[in-house]
Amino acid sequence: MSRFFAGGSSDSDTSSSDEELYSDSEEERSEQEGSSENDSEDDSDMGSDDDDSSSEDDGPEGFLKPGAKAGASRFLRGEESDESDEDESKRIVKSAKDKRLEEIDTIIRTIENAKKINDWVLISNEFDKLNKIVSKGGQQSETPRMYIKAIADLEDFMGETIKTEKESKKKMNATNGRALNSIKQRIRKNNRTYEDQIAKYRADPEAFEKEPEATPEPVAAPKRKSAAVEAAAAANAAIAAGDAVDEGEFSTIGRGGRTVAITPESIFKQLRAILEARGKKNTDRAEQIRSMDKMLGVAATVYQRIRVLLVLISTRFDLTTASASYMPIAQWKAAQEEISKLLETLEANPQYAVTEDAEEIDDEESEAEPVPKDGEPVKIFGSIASLIERLDDEFTRSLQNIDPHTPEYIDRLKEEAPLYATAVRAQLYFERLSHASSISRVLMRRLEMLYYKPEQLIKFIEQTTWTEALPSGLESKITPYNGKEQPSELMHSICTVLYKQDNRLYRTRAMLCEVYHHALHNRYFHARDLLLMSHLQATIHTADISTQILYNRTLVQVGLCAFREGMISEAQQALQEISGTGRVKELLAQGVQMQRYGAPASPEQERIERQRQIPFHQHINLELLECVYLTASMLLEIPFMAQCGSAPDAKKRVISKPFRRMLDYHERQVFTGPPENTRDHIMQASKALASGDWARAKELIRAIKIWELMPETEQIKDMLSEKIQEEGLRTYLFTYAPFYETLAISQLAGMFDVSERKATALVSKMISSNEVAAALDQKTNAIVFTAGVEYSRLQNLALALSDKAVQLLDSYKYR
Amino acid sequence: MAAGNSFDLVPRILPYLDRLLIFALLEHASEQKLYSEDVLLQAKFDLMKDTNMADYVTTLHKKISGSDAEVSEYVERREKVLEKLAAFEKESAELLQVLRNPDVVAALRPDRAQNIAYLKENHNISPDSIEVLYHYGQFQYNCGNYSEAADLLFHYRTLASDADLVMSATWGKLACEIMTLQWDNAAEELLKLREQIDAKTFSDPLVQLNHRAWLLHWALFFFFNADAGREKLTELFLTPAYINAIQTATPWILRYVTVAVLASRAARKTTGGASRAASYATYQKQIRELVRVIRQERYEYSDPVTEFVYALYVDFDFEEAQAKLSESADVVRSDLFLVASADVFLESARHLVSELYCQIHQRIDIKDLSARLNLSDEEGEKWIVNLIRDTRVDAKIDFSEGTVIMNHPPQSVYQQVIERTKGLSFRTSQVLAHMLTARNATAAVVGESEA
Repeated sequence: MSRFFAGGSSDSDTSSSDEELYSDSEEERSEQEGSSENDSEDDSDMGSDDDDSSSEDDGPEGFLKPGAKAGASRFLRGEESDESDEDESKRIVKSAKDKRLEEIDTIIRTIENAKKINDWVLISNEFDKLNKIVSKGGQQSETPRMYIKAIADLEDFMGETIKTEKESKKKMNATNGRALNSIKQRIRKNNRTYEDQIAKYRADPEAFEKEPEATPEPVAAPKRKSAAVEAAAAANAAIAAGDAVDEGEFSTIGRGGRTVAITPESIFKQLRAILEARGKKNTDRAEQIRSMDKMLGVAATVYQRIRVLLVLISTRFDLTTASASYMPIAQWKAAQEEISKLLETLEANPQYAVTEDAEEIDDEESEAEPVPKDGEPVKIFGSIASLIERLDDEFTRSLQNIDPHTPEYIDRLKEEAPLYATAVRAQLYFERLSHASSISRVLMRRLEMLYYKPEQLIKFIEQTTWTEALPSGLESKITPYNGKEQPSELMHSICTVLYKQDNRLYRTRAMLCEVYHHALHNRYFHARDLLLMSHLQATIHTADISTQILYNRTLVQVGLCAFREGMISEAQQALQEISGTGRVKELLAQGVQMQRYGAPASPEQERIERQRQIPFHQHINLELLECVYLTASMLLEIPFMAQCGSAPDAKKRVISKPFRRMLDYHERQVFTGPPENTRDHIMQASKALASGDWARAKELIRAIKIWELMPETEQIKDMLSEKIQEEGLRTYLFTYAPFYETLAISQLAGMFDVSERKATALVSKMISSNEVAAALDQKTNAIVFTAGVEYSRLQNLALALSDKAVQLLDSYKYR
Repeated sequence: MAAGNSFDLVPRILPYLDRLLIFALLEHASEQKLYSEDVLLQAKFDLMKDTNMADYVTTLHKKISGSDAEVSEYVERREKVLEKLAAFEKESAELLQVLRNPDVVAALRPDRAQNIAYLKENHNISPDSIEVLYHYGQFQYNCGNYSEAADLLFHYRTLASDADLVMSATWGKLACEIMTLQWDNAAEELLKLREQIDAKTFSDPLVQLNHRAWLLHWALFFFFNADAGREKLTELFLTPAYINAIQTATPWILRYVTVAVLASRAARKTTGGASRAASYATYQKQIRELVRVIRQERYEYSDPVTEFVYALYVDFDFEEAQAKLSESADVVRSDLFLVASADVFLESARHLVSELYCQIHQRIDIKDLSARLNLSDEEGEKWIVNLIRDTRVDAKIDFSEGTVIMNHPPQSVYQQVIERTKGLSFRTSQVLAHMLTARNATAAVVGESEA
């Protein structure tokens, strides 16, 4: 309230033309709008916010504050945003406005003159010019009264001319006639926009012109004052009307202090007006919403209710301006509730159906509402699937923008349950209509709300949905609920429906979601088989970016799953593609990567990237990911490095580049302190492993704290210890084989604390695959290394050369 | 036998077989005495109830119920069948007459359309009557007259144009050949079916997969016939498309693949001389492929037979392999398809173990090895001697210590380089020749265009 006056009367505030401050205030406003339902508390808040500026001028504020505040605030809030918009324009184009009015004046005069000589060509031109000017200014301010007067007069004159034209046989000349015809159309169309004002003018031209308006006084401040007076008057009127509201006959205060009564009969008309105003810049949506809220209370028939709800929900979504980062939460909640209400209405009244293939209703022709004929439900145009999608999108957007480390985020997250319930409800509705494409749209949303969740959570959300959120008696064919079914069954039944869709996007995403789900629950083989069967890796680069992100997430999850299951090389392979690139954040859409090369991204790109971000609660822990990747790389790379030894192409054969780079970096350091972070741990463990000190490597790896994030930490640690023992043994053999003639198995087994049987098996494997030149002696139970198999450099090169020659020959293509 | 039963695959295989093939399987089972007689009789009865073999069903019924009373239902059925048979005979008599005429047979060409036109022109046979052949064949098959059915279906196939029916006729013919134990013919049919399945473009890949799965199962009957079919079978199993089918739809076939691959070694031994090295190489390749598949599918299917391969080739755990081998002996002996091949399989498996063992070890205690192979000392010694002779391993027996000493000469670098570059000069000259002809050709073209 106070801010409203402050902004108006003091030009000291004009610093708001400054970009930054402007956007600030804008945000603030959107916040206010969001919370417009609960007032007084908010009000005082606002007051304190603007304390300093309001203290500068207490004139009008002091005048209003004491009495009218509570009542007025309620009705003025809506105006506020518009009026302050006006401030903006007025401040900037103060003189321009005068100029504009002058221009209008001249044009009107020209039209008057043209009328006298019946020159419709001139009138037509001037009329266009007039409209252009008015609409240019009209976006920011009210239409000047003289314009209304002019167009009203013009319409009258036109009517007369046409009449006389018909009566007198004499034709006017061709160009003039054509101009008349064309302007006839345009005037009708144009005047419809200003219908009520024209009506008012027609009713009492004198009073209309006398009404106070901004025009006479070009200075802004007095205008403000008059606006304030007007507002005060309106407030009084509103208080007076307060009783009437209770009686069900609601009156709302329009822009010019008009009173609009809402009755069941006028609902359609009102709705039409709202729909027509949609997309225009200075429509007051908050105001519309409030009036529709009332309409909902007034609506007499089911049909009306449905219609009002449809418009109301979409208007709520319109409320989000492009500059605001996400839909106000209160609005979102209201929208969610209204969609539920809409679905409830539709459930209770199966004779009505909201479908996308219904004809667009044109109330203009028939004010009468359609009555359900026998058996055939009345079809109403609307798309519940889109509403659900929009609701979900807005939910995601809000999560993207709320700081995940605040309680707000958690509060917001709690609202996923009602959202999920609404989606399920919509699905049931579409199942009843057997509307396949909409079912799949809703199912897709449902699936995407579920796939990243662990089983317990899915169970929980299903349970709350079916037992609490949904009325009993609803049943689903696709996803029946009996309280006992397994989450993976649910996932599968959803996916099965989606696999049958023609739309490839649904199939791909459903497939990825199912794979992700399997991987999350340690069903590695299921996940892998499904992923391989989909042949996605061949086509994924042609998919849209969000699907690619989902693919990356799935791949990473499969890798983590393999790791948990102890399949190190599979894990490494799966993770290689993502973790090996060094652009993990970007690929998983979990934060914007620092730009290393070239120019930083343009703001446009940055915005798009931000939109793609995955909400925090769905993130895959990046540190854990790195840790897993590096550990897996270590277990593969260290023995491999030892095996390559001094081979000439040892440098070229690399399993994991990032790992090598880090290891190099680590080795270059002059002094290495005790390990601090995960990476240090792994690097030092790698060094220990390479030198045969498996016990230290094991200790270091086990000391990594982030393993705690994995379920069944101890098992994973044990698995890792075992792997370290094995790989340590192999590394040892690779590294120190040249120094032994024979080596007893028992010695080796003791050294690495494994059973002799296992040691034998490991050694046998190495011998069989020609990794070491040795053989076992059963009598003495020892490994006998074959001497003289270490090739000289020349011999190695000769072998390499012969290989290359064969390759070269193989690459020749016979055509 | 209890261990063997827990790995019984019959219930899994049955859905993929034809009714009469199952019957054959049951017959086989009663010969092997794996199941109790009563159960088998009942199963046979249930199976045959709906076929046209009324006589047989009646006997079965008598056996089960123990009474001699004729059941009117079957008598009726029998009459109906005979009636229908007569009708079919009448319908197709003319056509068969024509077809049995040697002149006509000589005039028939591989081109089906032409055949039909020819028959229509010269013998007034409409395409509709050809259809009769198919149904008659099917009927005969259901009656158990396999050779006649095969004959009819053969004729049908030379004339018919409907691809789907031809396919099913081929299936029918394969079944007939299997039932009449005509293995050579059956192998031919199998090949034909395989070609058809692979060549045909199925709108739904699932249908193709199903066809392949059936083919794989039907092919199992070749195990009845010990030697000749096995090699082809191995080849069929290891074709990439069929490996895929096994992996996706019917992993239990892996057991048969394993046995087929391992047992094919025995067959190879008989082929002598030059081709032996080559066949040994393919054998190695097959084993590698097998190990790969078993490894991949281990989570889906494993039984002692596959576990044996896994223990041997993936874990190199000889003791485990030994345990699995003795387990798998039971399994193989109790498997309907594999009984015939059991000994061959066990022999080959033993070979594999000792071969790998020798490869890895330098000095082996004969006693220990014999124990590993479930043989007595003396037998073990013989075995080793045989092994040394067969595989031409460089090994000697040290009698005083009771050991075998394996000599693994490290392959010299020179040898390796020579080995690798052996074919180079020949292939280079090939490339050169190819390039020259290519250039001449282009030169000729250019010359022509200039002229």
